[in-house]
Amino acid sequence: MVFRRGQRVEIYRRSGDESWEAYMDEYVGLHGLITDPDNTINDPDALVEVSLVGKGTHRFPQDCLRLLED
Amino acid sequence: MPAKTCSVTRTVTELKHTIDAGRLQNPRSRRIAEEILQLLNDIAWGRAGDRHIPAIASLADELAYDEADAAAMETAAYLHDAVDHNREVFVSHIKTHNCSTGDCVKLAPAPCQMTCPAGLDIPTYVTLIGMGRDAEAIDVIRRDCPFPWVCGLVCTRPCEFMCVRARIDTPISIKFLKGFAAERAMSEGSYRNPEKAPDKGQKVCVIGAGPGGMSAAYYLILKGYGVRVIEQHPTAGGMLLLGIPRYRLPREIIDREVAMLTDLGVEFRFNTRFGQDATLADLKGEGFDAFFFAIGAHQAFKLGIPGEEGCPQVLEAIAFLRRVALGDRTVPGKTVVVIGGGNVAIDAARTCLRLGCREVTLAYRRARTEMPADREEVEQAEEEGIRFAFLTIPIEVAKNNGGIDGLRCLRAELVKMEGQDRKYPKPIEGSEFLLAADVVISAIGQKVDNTCMTEVNGLDWTRRNTIQVNTATMETSRAGVFAAGDAVTGPATVIEAIGGGKRAAESIDRYLSGIPQPSMPRVPVRRGRIDWLEVPASTKMTLKRPDMPLLNLDRRRTTFQQVELGYPENAVREEARRCLRCDICLRCGKCVEICRDKMGVNALQMGYFDFDHPVKTDFRITAERCIACGACAANCPTGAMRMEDRGHERVLSLCGTILNRQKLLTCEDCGAVLGPARYIEFVRKRTKTVARAAGARALCDACSRHASAKITTDNLPSQSK
Repeated sequence: MVFRRGQRVEIYRRSGDESWEAYMDEYVGLHGLITDPDNTINDPDALVEVSLVGKGTHRFPQDCLRLLED
Repeated sequence: MPAKTCSVTRTVTELKHTIDAGRLQNPRSRRIAEEILQLLNDIAWGRAGDRHIPAIASLADELAYDEADAAAMETAAYLHDAVDHNREVFVSHIKTHNCSTGDCVKLAPAPCQMTCPAGLDIPTYVTLIGMGRDAEAIDVIRRDCPFPWVCGLVCTRPCEFMCVRARIDTPISIKFLKGFAAERAMSEGSYRNPEKAPDKGQKVCVIGAGPGGMSAAYYLILKGYGVRVIEQHPTAGGMLLLGIPRYRLPREIIDREVAMLTDLGVEFRFNTRFGQDATLADLKGEGFDAFFFAIGAHQAFKLGIPGEEGCPQVLEAIAFLRRVALGDRTVPGKTVVVIGGGNVAIDAARTCLRLGCREVTLAYRRARTEMPADREEVEQAEEEGIRFAFLTIPIEVAKNNGGIDGLRCLRAELVKMEGQDRKYPKPIEGSEFLLAADVVISAIGQKVDNTCMTEVNGLDWTRRNTIQVNTATMETSRAGVFAAGDAVTGPATVIEAIGGGKRAAESIDRYLSGIPQPSMPRVPVRRGRIDWLEVPASTKMTLKRPDMPLLNLDRRRTTFQQVELGYPENAVREEARRCLRCDICLRCGKCVEICRDKMGVNALQMGYFDFDHPVKTDFRITAERCIACGACAANCPTGAMRMEDRGHERVLSLCGTILNRQKLLTCEDCGAVLGPARYIEFVRKRTKTVARAAGARALCDACSRHASAKITTDNLPSQSK
């Protein structure tokens, strides 16, 4: 688990991961909150659930996310 | 990809421009155009019905009555074209009260609804609960989630993380309000199933009776399909029943909500393992037209340490919880160590305590602040006497003759690794110690057990060993086969599985009806346009999120009785009043800008409007500074800010929060409403150089002019009469 619940993040780039789908390209640059991180095995490769402002909740690979400063 | 601008808004804007620019010279054409504009606005504001589109077409025909009126002919042609080419969007606005682009501002879902993986219309049902209309609230919830009671107890509530109220103090207690309403509706007998669509004569087989599978089953049967659910265990519930202990989610609650599915006609086949007792070929032979796999993630990860393999004193948490859920009350041991920091680890530890284990320790390799388990669950576990060994890395199960001495561990320290944001636990050399135990329970996560799926050829799997799907439709690589839940996401949440099941049901319906699938995930649908609850600003600011009453500690340590006892009714109704109704106020900030920058009053302190940089909010400030000019309300695009005269008062409210209430003054001569004193004073100050003051008297403009005129009908010289 690299991210924790409630942290504010930005989708700052596309991911090359197989779980990245074409429609997600539209989400690059959006901000959101981590709502369900990988909560079991602390796997940096796990998909984390992010709620994007105005765009709903989706699971993303962690390499396209970065934390926003408070 | 969806349109970037909404075709309904575009049509409204274009027609309004045509009217405002005076292009329609003929009064009759202008009248018809204004009527059409009204109908279009109804659609854009979510108040249209089935007859709106035919009425627009008919009025457009009427508009084209005079061939000599070129502007009218052109406008009519534009309107026909706009509706015909975007009929699906227009119909969607009417049917779903939803604008996927957000251009139709009144139809934009609230952040909480957008966050919910199942898209529940939270502001609507929270308000209904606040009004005491619990059964209606449950009807609203069940349009997106068939298990409001279950979710009211165990949802991870992502909605509360996005709740705008949290930017002021604490989020609305959405989960517990839902639980209360479901319990009340069930208790009163008003928890009811909706009407099913007529039978379509097609059948769908659902594999797995967990939250994802049963959600798909519910929405499919409502759409008119025959549904059979196959489940390897003897009862329905999946992880709800087998993974969540009874003190968090009593079995009766699952049973009551599953019974609602049985009432609808969903057929359950228990003790039936897919791939063994029923194969894909068998089921196809029985006439099933589509398949939905929601097989969950029930296989535990191994610790991977010496002594674990083949040791009967090392248990897997998920298997242990399953045994207990199915009735086994054997005490695993006197002294237990549970390894892990997630909710399953906490569940296993608390279950051990309730079974009679004397000492239960939870070993986690990181610090408390890094624990992924819910904060409330961790706190409750601590209260019950669970011990925590943080920064503890297991290295070996220490065996003795036929049993174990415990778990050999190393202490750890958190160190920052280059290029990483987060600290990692690094073992401290020479810090080895023994954590005494006669049983070790491993709770470090689960994965999908795909052994039952080997016969489903052509199914793509991800490198994470989950079923590969298109997440917008939940379609797998094999036509007619859909999947959702933990089998797709890996171990995730109940509400995510429910959302996936619902999405799959919609896609299965499209597949079986020959309708093309969407390319984007569906935007949550607003289920109603309910009025707000009126609350004074001071109450809105001072109401606090209630604490959940808990079962007493002795019973929590010794029984499986439900720990969270539920809010009392008055707390529920009050909590609903804290909701800011973000489905109506979009926090665009126009009201604040107008008040501060144009009027120079700065009476609106709405720090919560900004997602990235929220600052202080105080609704009470408004009453101190507001002049009740109404500029904020006049410029509010959604009608959230409202100014109205009620009797002898002028009232300013934001989504029902009464921000200001000022006494109205009336003209001393004619009795006409002048406005509140502050507003009159504000106007006088700005007009004193050009308008003559009426002295101390409160007069309207007409009476003031009358009083100050040198010659009036009363003193007109007689020769002029």
